[in-house]
Amino acid sequence: MPKAMTSTRRIKSATGDKIFSLGLLAPAILLTFVFILVPVIDSVIKSFTEYKIKNVISGAPGTWNNFENYIKLFQNDKLMPAIITTFVFVFAVVISQFLIGFILAVILDSKIRGSRFLRSIMMMPWVVPTMISGMVWLWLYQPQYGLLRYLVQVVTGGSVADFAILNNPNTALLGIGIAALWKQVPLTTLLLLAGLQSVPSDMLEAATVDGASALRRFVSIVIPYMMSVIKVTVSMSIIENFKQFPLFWTMTGGGPDGATTTLAILSYREAFVSNDLGSGAAVTTVWMLLMILVVFAYNKIFKAEPMD
Amino acid sequence: MKRRQTLSAILKYFVLAVILLFLLFPLYWVLITSFKTNMEAYAFPPSFLPQAPTVESYIKLFTENNEFFIYYKNNFIISGVSAALTVLVALLSGYALSRFHFRWNAWIVAAFMSAQMFPMISRLISLYGLMRGMKLINTHAGLTLALTAAMLPFSIMLMSSFFDSVPVAVEESARIDGASRFGVLFRIVVPLVKPGILAVGIYSFLLAWDDYLHAATLIQTDSLRTLSIGIALRYLGELSYDWSLINTISIVGTIPMLLLFFFFQKYMVKGLVAGAVKG
Amino acid sequence: MKKHMKLTAAALAAAMAFSMTACSGGTDTASGSQASGTGETGGASQEEYTEEVTLKVANYAILESGYTEFWEGVKAGFEEKYPNVTIEWVTAPYGEITNQVINMAGGGDMVDVIFSELIWIPTFVEAGLAAPAEEMLDADFLADFYPNVLEAHQVDGQTYGVPLYASSCVLYYNKDIFEAAGLDPNTPPTTYDEMLQMAEKIDGMTTADGNKIYAFGVPTASVAVVGSFLNSVVYNYGGTVLTEDGSLAIDDGFKQAFDMIKLLDDKGYNPQNCKPKDLRNLFALGQLAMYYDQSWGFNGVSSINPDAANFTASAMPLKGGDGDGAGTLQSHCFVMVNNGGARAWAAKEFVQYVITPEVLNDYMNNITPAYPVKNDMADCMPELLAPSADATTQAKPVPLVAALNDFNLELCTLAQAVTVSDKDVDTAIADFETSANAILAG
Repeated sequence: MPKAMTSTRRIKSATGDKIFSLGLLAPAILLTFVFILVPVIDSVIKSFTEYKIKNVISGAPGTWNNFENYIKLFQNDKLMPAIITTFVFVFAVVISQFLIGFILAVILDSKIRGSRFLRSIMMMPWVVPTMISGMVWLWLYQPQYGLLRYLVQVVTGGSVADFAILNNPNTALLGIGIAALWKQVPLTTLLLLAGLQSVPSDMLEAATVDGASALRRFVSIVIPYMMSVIKVTVSMSIIENFKQFPLFWTMTGGGPDGATTTLAILSYREAFVSNDLGSGAAVTTVWMLLMILVVFAYNKIFKAEPMD
Repeated sequence: MKRRQTLSAILKYFVLAVILLFLLFPLYWVLITSFKTNMEAYAFPPSFLPQAPTVESYIKLFTENNEFFIYYKNNFIISGVSAALTVLVALLSGYALSRFHFRWNAWIVAAFMSAQMFPMISRLISLYGLMRGMKLINTHAGLTLALTAAMLPFSIMLMSSFFDSVPVAVEESARIDGASRFGVLFRIVVPLVKPGILAVGIYSFLLAWDDYLHAATLIQTDSLRTLSIGIALRYLGELSYDWSLINTISIVGTIPMLLLFFFFQKYMVKGLVAGAVKG
Repeated sequence: MKKHMKLTAAALAAAMAFSMTACSGGTDTASGSQASGTGETGGASQEEYTEEVTLKVANYAILESGYTEFWEGVKAGFEEKYPNVTIEWVTAPYGEITNQVINMAGGGDMVDVIFSELIWIPTFVEAGLAAPAEEMLDADFLADFYPNVLEAHQVDGQTYGVPLYASSCVLYYNKDIFEAAGLDPNTPPTTYDEMLQMAEKIDGMTTADGNKIYAFGVPTASVAVVGSFLNSVVYNYGGTVLTEDGSLAIDDGFKQAFDMIKLLDDKGYNPQNCKPKDLRNLFALGQLAMYYDQSWGFNGVSSINPDAANFTASAMPLKGGDGDGAGTLQSHCFVMVNNGGARAWAAKEFVQYVITPEVLNDYMNNITPAYPVKNDMADCMPELLAPSADATTQAKPVPLVAALNDFNLELCTLAQAVTVSDKDVDTAIADFETSANAILAG
């Protein structure tokens, strides 16, 4: 008995740690489980059933319908265009956001006057609620009295008199992309700027003394140092834009002629406009799978590259 | 050489000006539109300064549209409480993930990470039924819990990176002195991660303030509604537009966020950056 | 320390138990209450109730500034007449109110009356919420409605919406612009050809501050109600969209209608991708000479520009092709839910209280112009609508198919395809047929 004392105490302390740790994690696990994971799983299940508003009211569970929700979505030619639109939007916004953010971060990092002040005021769009930023841009884009129409008219010397970015299927996505950039560039810039500032200056100086060009210093010292920041920044932006809904919903509602119907809009429309919740759930299931795939692929690609 | 330097300096300032114009001019535009009459707002070409500045729409907002301030107040309550709750839960879990390394940690982290990715709409359909079962529909408590759950994953990761930077030795000495586990956590460790608490708190306040979909689904009574949905409801109605009023609302709806940001930006910037760089 | 262990263990157990119940609640929501559609059948209850009743009325309009005052007056007046009834408004945005009512019903929280668009009726019928008016209201009250109007609210011979007033897509035009263009302000166009000739004169004009004046507006943006506008243009041409039994029936009139919509766009007469409210805005500011609207849309016009009453006139929908200019019949109606007993009684009294000349006369004349739907309200016809008085009597109903909302949105997409996407009309109609058939097959 006395011999075993110390070891039991150690075991006790280890189980104590376990229980304590689980206890601390319990509220978070519970909340995530109840409000996120269960609804997600439930939604995946619904996507395989016929589930309509009748079911909502009677509380009757959906009935299995042999993948019909999925089959119909593919047959109706709705899913593919939505997937393509989503990818084009995410890809374009993430890349331009990164480039603009990086350029701005580099400029703010160089010794310019008032860079602290500029850094803080450039963050303003980030705190504007999404719903309101949608309205801000709707107003700028307004086809008859909007500022953009005026600017385009001035720049083109009056040859394009009626520029209405959201009314043209070829430019509507661009219009929403600009609004998304406006709101998201500040945070990207901020994170990248922090990354830039974490690059040790003595290394840069040494490289300068060795006669390395600015570009060379950038590629071989700055970028590798910033890799983890870049990785996080870009993945945050992928997730954010993949999920984007309120901007689309307030600005175009998916139109004109379906040009801005992303997976988010399609699922909302199927579920809450057409009142076919099973079909809406099918869209979100495809959406989530694609998102997981993209993030997975992204992590793979980034891991493959040497970090330092 | 000199000429090249001046050229690049000019280019630099030009690019800076263009980007800043893009980021800031829309806000200026909203601000001046809010001081225009509707008739002036509808003039083309638009005026870059209000010709006859008026606070008419502000008066209209403050006197006629009292519901706006109910939405506003609700938004403050919901955002405040969910931010506080998020901080509390994230403190506990962040600490657990940072200090105790068990096998299940990897699974829990994976679950949190994926939870962060799932779009709200995918949960909307089921969340409604679920919350109805728990009698949480159309209550501020329900909305707060749902929002907290949505913000937790990122907040926990952020929080745990702050705990990582607190040396374990501090705790060990306190434990030897006989402090309980909770005592150590709340009396010793928590004060050391204050910047993290602020960062998480403000970040989640911002996110909750921004919410549209949760409130749209879970709240049905007008007097319980929050800002974004209230705006969509009342001011983007089907009958007509009132653009000066919409712009006024945009300004009034954004100002608290701006104030919050300018007051706390030091912590927020540091916190988010620290979290993102490590997370 | 031991104490803490016990505590945490207990908390954990409790948490797990909770998560399990929560989980089962998630996967089987069947435990939710059944819809209570069990009221008296066979005619409205004649019983008088004196107990306290709360009547839940779903109404998006109470939140729209043009209507708020009227509805608050209705509440006050009704509660004064029936002191034991309290009206509780259930509100949601226009686009969200149907989901709201359905979701609430799913939670066992039933509304009694819904202030609805005619085109929302199928959704409520499909959801099993709407009760036939024959079962809810007094027979002599129903008998007083114009038969063609009531028919437009029927599904399988049962009336599921009780109209307050009706409209078609009427033509509003700006007399001042007509005069400035050298046209007679009292002779509006009667056919699409006449309209095109007039539009040619208006085209190129600008307002005093130099803004372009559009000649003719038809909404084409993606809102379900716009589908009714487009459907109306098809009817103007004597075409059909859906057969009685709800299958697609595309004919010459249908094609001619969309040819016209394309032509209006090619000529730059019609502002692109507009919602009805965008057109109202332009019209209020004198930037639109003629446009189609539901008669009550004028409320939106006058809320932007109070002077609009001075230059606005109404006219019958245009005739095109072989058509006689009939439009779609549209209305604001009450959809009733049968909650039985005192609530059904209060709902009946409420509907029969509102749809009377006493309550609606002032509303139809001074707040929002609309066409009467009942014999006892024949005198309520507002002056503005006198020139187009026959618009609703000759209007044709839209078959109330279950997927009407979605189908209407598909019509909008078709209109966008031939305008902003500049697709050829035949190709666009072929695409429309594919997607519309899929929706109707539902």
